[in-house]
Amino acid sequence: MDVLVTTYLLYLALSIALTVWVARTLYRNGIVFLVDVFSGNLPLANSVNHLLVVGFYLINLGFVCLSLKLGYEVTGPRGSIEALASKVGTVLLVLGSMHFFNLYVFSRIRGSKALGDALPPLDPDSCTRVAAPKPEDVDRELWADAEEFRSMP
Amino acid sequence: MTRRPSIRARELTVLYDDACALCRAARGWLEPQPAFLPLRFIAAASARARRLYPALDPADTLKDITVVDDAGRVYRGPKAWVMCLWATRAHRERAITLAQPSLWPLAKRFVAWVSTHRDQLGGVGSVVLGAGR
Repeated sequence: MDVLVTTYLLYLALSIALTVWVARTLYRNGIVFLVDVFSGNLPLANSVNHLLVVGFYLINLGFVCLSLKLGYEVTGPRGSIEALASKVGTVLLVLGSMHFFNLYVFSRIRGSKALGDALPPLDPDSCTRVAAPKPEDVDRELWADAEEFRSMP
Repeated sequence: MTRRPSIRARELTVLYDDACALCRAARGWLEPQPAFLPLRFIAAASARARRLYPALDPADTLKDITVVDDAGRVYRGPKAWVMCLWATRAHRERAITLAQPSLWPLAKRFVAWVSTHRDQLGGVGSVVLGAGR
Protein backbone atom coordinates (compact mmCIF):
# COMPACT_ATOMS: atom_id res chain seq x y z
CA MET A 1 0.00 0.00 0.00
CA ASP A 2 1.50 3.36 -0.91
CA VAL A 3 2.18 6.12 1.58
CA LEU A 4 -0.66 8.39 0.40
CA VAL A 5 -3.37 5.77 0.91
CA THR A 6 -1.99 4.93 4.35
CA THR A 7 -2.08 8.63 5.23
CA TYR A 8 -5.70 8.87 4.08
CA LEU A 9 -6.73 5.84 6.08
CA LEU A 10 -4.98 7.12 9.20
CA TYR A 11 -6.59 10.53 8.70
CA LEU A 12 -10.07 9.02 8.40
CA ALA A 13 -9.59 6.79 11.45
CA LEU A 14 -8.29 9.66 13.62
CA SER A 15 -10.90 12.20 12.49
CA ILE A 16 -13.83 9.85 12.91
CA ALA A 17 -12.64 8.77 16.33
CA LEU A 18 -12.30 12.41 17.40
CA THR A 19 -15.75 13.29 16.05
CA VAL A 20 -17.32 10.38 17.90
CA TRP A 21 -15.57 11.37 21.11
CA VAL A 22 -16.72 15.01 20.96
CA ALA A 23 -20.26 14.05 19.96
CA ARG A 24 -20.53 11.61 22.86
CA THR A 25 -19.25 14.26 25.27
CA LEU A 26 -21.86 16.69 23.98
CA TYR A 27 -24.57 14.06 24.17
CA ARG A 28 -23.77 13.06 27.73
CA ASN A 29 -23.37 16.57 29.15
CA GLY A 30 -25.89 18.45 27.02
CA ILE A 31 -28.80 16.45 28.42
CA VAL A 32 -28.42 18.14 31.83
CA PHE A 33 -28.93 21.61 30.23
CA LEU A 34 -31.82 20.47 28.09
CA VAL A 35 -33.73 18.78 30.91
CA ASP A 36 -33.53 22.10 32.78
CA VAL A 37 -34.59 24.13 29.73
CA PHE A 38 -37.59 21.93 29.06
CA SER A 39 -38.65 21.98 32.73
CA GLY A 40 -37.89 18.33 33.36
CA ASN A 41 -39.60 17.04 30.22
CA LEU A 42 -37.16 14.16 29.71
CA PRO A 43 -38.54 12.70 26.44
CA LEU A 44 -38.43 16.14 24.77
CA ALA A 45 -34.93 16.85 26.12
CA ASN A 46 -33.71 13.46 24.88
CA SER A 47 -35.20 14.05 21.48
CA VAL A 48 -33.68 17.54 21.05
CA ASN A 49 -30.35 16.25 22.34
CA HIS A 50 -30.38 13.43 19.82
CA LEU A 51 -31.29 15.79 16.95
CA LEU A 52 -28.47 18.16 17.89
CA VAL A 53 -25.94 15.34 17.97
CA VAL A 54 -27.09 14.01 14.60
CA GLY A 55 -26.57 17.48 13.11
CA PHE A 56 -23.15 17.62 14.72
CA TYR A 57 -22.16 14.25 13.18
CA LEU A 58 -23.43 15.22 9.73
CA ILE A 59 -21.56 18.53 9.62
CA ASN A 60 -18.31 17.16 10.99
CA LEU A 61 -18.19 13.97 8.96
CA GLY A 62 -19.10 16.00 5.88
CA PHE A 63 -16.19 18.30 6.57
CA VAL A 64 -13.84 15.38 7.21
CA CYS A 65 -14.78 13.81 3.87
CA LEU A 66 -14.50 17.05 1.92
CA SER A 67 -11.05 17.88 3.23
CA LEU A 68 -9.65 14.40 2.68
CA LYS A 69 -7.85 15.08 -0.60
CA LEU A 70 -4.25 16.16 -0.12
CA GLY A 71 -3.47 17.51 -3.60
CA TYR A 72 0.22 16.76 -3.41
CA GLU A 73 2.38 13.63 -3.33
CA VAL A 74 3.70 12.38 0.02
CA THR A 75 6.88 10.39 0.17
CA GLY A 76 8.17 8.67 3.24
CA PRO A 77 6.95 8.71 6.82
CA ARG A 78 7.98 12.34 7.43
CA GLY A 79 5.75 13.75 4.72
CA SER A 80 2.95 11.49 5.83
CA ILE A 81 3.09 12.65 9.45
CA GLU A 82 3.23 16.31 8.41
CA ALA A 83 0.24 15.99 6.09
CA LEU A 84 -1.65 14.05 8.75
CA ALA A 85 -0.92 16.68 11.40
CA SER A 86 -2.14 19.60 9.32
CA LYS A 87 -5.31 17.77 8.27
CA VAL A 88 -6.16 16.52 11.75
CA GLY A 89 -5.32 19.95 13.15
CA THR A 90 -7.90 21.56 10.89
CA VAL A 91 -10.47 18.96 11.87
CA LEU A 92 -9.74 19.64 15.55
CA LEU A 93 -10.25 23.37 15.11
CA VAL A 94 -13.52 22.84 13.27
CA LEU A 95 -14.66 20.40 15.98
CA GLY A 96 -13.71 22.94 18.64
CA SER A 97 -15.64 25.77 17.06
CA MET A 98 -18.66 23.53 16.47
CA HIS A 99 -18.48 22.48 20.10
CA PHE A 100 -18.43 26.08 21.35
CA PHE A 101 -21.26 26.96 18.98
CA ASN A 102 -23.29 24.12 20.49
CA LEU A 103 -22.56 25.39 24.00
CA TYR A 104 -23.66 28.86 22.89
CA VAL A 105 -26.94 27.43 21.57
CA PHE A 106 -27.53 25.62 24.87
CA SER A 107 -26.86 28.72 26.94
CA ARG A 108 -29.06 30.87 24.68
CA ILE A 109 -31.97 28.44 25.07
CA ARG A 110 -31.40 28.40 28.82
CA GLY A 111 -31.09 32.21 29.11
CA SER A 112 -34.33 32.92 27.28
CA LYS A 113 -36.15 30.46 29.51
CA ALA A 114 -34.86 32.16 32.68
CA LEU A 115 -36.11 35.50 31.35
CA GLY A 116 -39.58 34.07 30.75
CA ASP A 117 -39.70 32.83 34.34
CA ALA A 118 -38.57 36.13 35.87
CA LEU A 119 -40.77 37.76 38.49
CA PRO A 120 -41.78 41.43 38.09
CA PRO A 121 -38.76 43.59 38.99
CA LEU A 122 -40.84 45.97 41.14
CA ASP A 123 -43.29 45.71 44.02
CA PRO A 124 -46.83 46.88 43.31
CA ASP A 125 -48.02 50.22 44.71
CA SER A 126 -51.20 48.75 46.13
CA CYS A 127 -53.77 46.04 45.65
CA THR A 128 -57.31 46.46 44.41
CA ARG A 129 -60.44 44.40 44.11
CA VAL A 130 -61.05 42.97 40.66
CA ALA A 131 -64.75 42.64 39.88
CA ALA A 132 -65.87 39.62 37.90
CA PRO A 133 -66.34 40.75 34.29
CA LYS A 134 -69.94 41.51 33.32
CA PRO A 135 -71.43 39.49 30.44
CA GLU A 136 -71.23 42.51 28.13
CA ASP A 137 -67.47 42.79 28.81
CA VAL A 138 -66.97 39.11 28.01
CA ASP A 139 -69.09 39.59 24.87
CA ARG A 140 -67.00 42.55 23.84
CA GLU A 141 -63.74 40.63 24.25
CA LEU A 142 -65.08 37.63 22.36
CA TRP A 143 -66.30 40.02 19.68
CA ALA A 144 -62.88 41.68 19.46
CA ASP A 145 -61.20 38.26 19.22
CA ALA A 146 -63.60 37.24 16.48
CA GLU A 147 -62.92 40.48 14.59
CA GLU A 148 -59.19 39.86 14.85
CA PHE A 149 -59.65 36.28 13.65
CA ARG A 150 -61.72 37.44 10.69
CA SER A 151 -59.17 40.06 9.68
CA MET A 152 -56.36 37.49 9.60
CA PRO A 153 -55.15 36.70 6.08
CA MET B 1 -45.88 48.21 52.41
CA THR B 2 -46.68 45.59 49.81
CA ARG B 3 -44.88 42.30 49.59
CA ARG B 4 -43.13 40.93 46.54
CA PRO B 5 -45.76 39.11 44.50
CA SER B 6 -46.01 35.41 45.20
CA ILE B 7 -48.72 34.51 42.70
CA ARG B 8 -47.57 34.76 39.12
CA ALA B 9 -49.44 37.35 37.06
CA ARG B 10 -51.08 35.83 34.00
CA GLU B 11 -52.40 38.98 32.40
CA LEU B 12 -51.87 42.73 32.70
CA THR B 13 -54.59 45.30 32.21
CA VAL B 14 -53.36 48.73 31.15
CA LEU B 15 -55.58 51.69 32.05
CA TYR B 16 -54.43 54.47 29.74
CA ASP B 17 -55.67 57.96 28.98
CA ASP B 18 -57.56 57.60 25.71
CA ALA B 19 -57.74 61.38 25.25
CA CYS B 20 -53.93 61.73 25.03
CA ALA B 21 -52.23 61.23 21.67
CA LEU B 22 -48.95 60.03 23.22
CA CYS B 23 -50.77 57.39 25.26
CA ARG B 24 -52.63 56.13 22.21
CA ALA B 25 -49.37 56.02 20.25
CA ALA B 26 -47.75 54.06 23.10
CA ARG B 27 -50.66 51.61 23.02
CA GLY B 28 -50.25 51.25 19.27
CA TRP B 29 -46.56 50.50 19.78
CA LEU B 30 -47.08 47.99 22.61
CA GLU B 31 -50.10 46.10 21.41
CA PRO B 32 -48.62 44.17 18.45
CA GLN B 33 -45.42 43.18 20.30
CA PRO B 34 -44.82 39.53 21.15
CA ALA B 35 -45.30 39.28 24.91
CA PHE B 36 -44.68 36.86 27.77
CA LEU B 37 -48.15 37.62 29.13
CA PRO B 38 -51.09 39.27 27.40
CA LEU B 39 -51.70 43.00 27.76
CA ARG B 40 -55.28 44.23 27.77
CA PHE B 41 -55.88 47.92 27.12
CA ILE B 42 -58.86 49.69 28.65
CA ALA B 43 -59.43 53.45 28.54
CA ALA B 44 -58.94 54.88 32.03
CA ALA B 45 -62.15 56.03 33.77
CA SER B 46 -64.29 54.35 31.10
CA ALA B 47 -67.44 52.52 32.17
CA ARG B 48 -65.68 49.20 31.67
CA ALA B 49 -62.68 50.25 33.78
CA ARG B 50 -64.99 51.44 36.55
CA ARG B 51 -66.93 48.18 36.48
CA LEU B 52 -63.80 46.01 36.59
CA TYR B 53 -61.96 47.98 39.27
CA PRO B 54 -64.60 49.62 41.47
CA ALA B 55 -62.06 50.43 44.18
CA LEU B 56 -59.74 52.43 41.93
CA ASP B 57 -60.26 56.21 41.78
CA PRO B 58 -60.90 57.07 38.09
CA ALA B 59 -59.24 60.49 38.53
CA ASP B 60 -56.01 58.79 39.68
CA THR B 61 -56.00 56.44 36.70
CA LEU B 62 -56.44 59.39 34.35
CA LYS B 63 -53.55 61.25 35.91
CA ASP B 64 -51.05 58.37 35.73
CA ILE B 65 -51.01 55.29 33.54
CA THR B 66 -52.04 52.35 35.72
CA VAL B 67 -51.34 48.65 35.27
CA VAL B 68 -53.37 46.06 37.17
CA ASP B 69 -52.57 42.36 36.99
CA ASP B 70 -55.16 39.61 37.22
CA ALA B 71 -54.56 39.28 40.98
CA GLY B 72 -55.37 42.98 41.54
CA ARG B 73 -51.84 44.28 42.10
CA VAL B 74 -51.68 47.90 41.03
CA TYR B 75 -48.65 49.60 39.45
CA ARG B 76 -48.81 53.32 38.75
CA GLY B 77 -46.86 55.80 36.61
CA PRO B 78 -43.22 54.78 36.10
CA LYS B 79 -43.83 51.35 37.63
CA ALA B 80 -46.67 50.81 35.17
CA TRP B 81 -44.30 51.62 32.31
CA VAL B 82 -41.72 49.15 33.54
CA MET B 83 -44.43 46.50 33.87
CA CYS B 84 -45.53 47.09 30.26
CA LEU B 85 -41.94 46.66 29.05
CA TRP B 86 -41.53 43.65 31.33
CA ALA B 87 -44.49 41.95 29.64
CA THR B 88 -42.90 42.12 26.19
CA ARG B 89 -40.39 39.58 24.95
CA ALA B 90 -38.14 42.16 23.36
CA HIS B 91 -37.87 44.53 26.33
CA ARG B 92 -38.09 42.40 29.47
CA GLU B 93 -34.34 42.57 30.00
CA ARG B 94 -34.45 46.35 29.64
CA ALA B 95 -37.28 46.57 32.18
CA ILE B 96 -35.25 44.59 34.71
CA THR B 97 -32.25 46.87 34.10
CA LEU B 98 -34.36 50.00 34.55
CA ALA B 99 -35.76 48.72 37.83
CA GLN B 100 -32.29 48.28 39.35
CA PRO B 101 -31.72 50.60 42.34
CA SER B 102 -28.94 52.49 40.53
CA LEU B 103 -31.09 53.39 37.52
CA TRP B 104 -34.55 53.44 38.99
CA PRO B 105 -34.57 57.04 40.35
CA LEU B 106 -33.47 58.36 36.95
CA ALA B 107 -36.00 56.23 35.06
CA LYS B 108 -38.72 57.38 37.44
CA ARG B 109 -37.90 61.04 36.91
CA PHE B 110 -37.80 60.63 33.15
CA VAL B 111 -41.21 58.93 33.01
CA ALA B 112 -42.69 61.51 35.39
CA TRP B 113 -41.36 64.32 33.18
CA VAL B 114 -42.76 62.73 30.01
CA SER B 115 -46.06 62.15 31.77
CA THR B 116 -46.49 65.78 32.86
CA HIS B 117 -45.53 67.07 29.39
CA ARG B 118 -47.50 64.46 27.48
CA ASP B 119 -49.85 66.95 25.84
CA GLN B 120 -46.95 68.89 24.32
CA LEU B 121 -45.10 65.66 23.44
CA GLY B 122 -48.08 64.07 21.72
CA GLY B 123 -47.01 64.85 18.16
CA VAL B 124 -43.34 63.95 18.65
CA GLY B 125 -44.21 60.76 20.50
CA SER B 126 -46.62 59.60 17.83
CA VAL B 127 -43.94 60.03 15.17
CA VAL B 128 -41.22 58.27 17.20
CA LEU B 129 -43.43 55.38 18.31
CA GLY B 130 -45.20 55.08 14.99
CA ALA B 131 -41.92 54.90 13.07
CA GLY B 132 -41.28 51.34 14.28
CA ARG B 133 -44.43 49.99 12.65
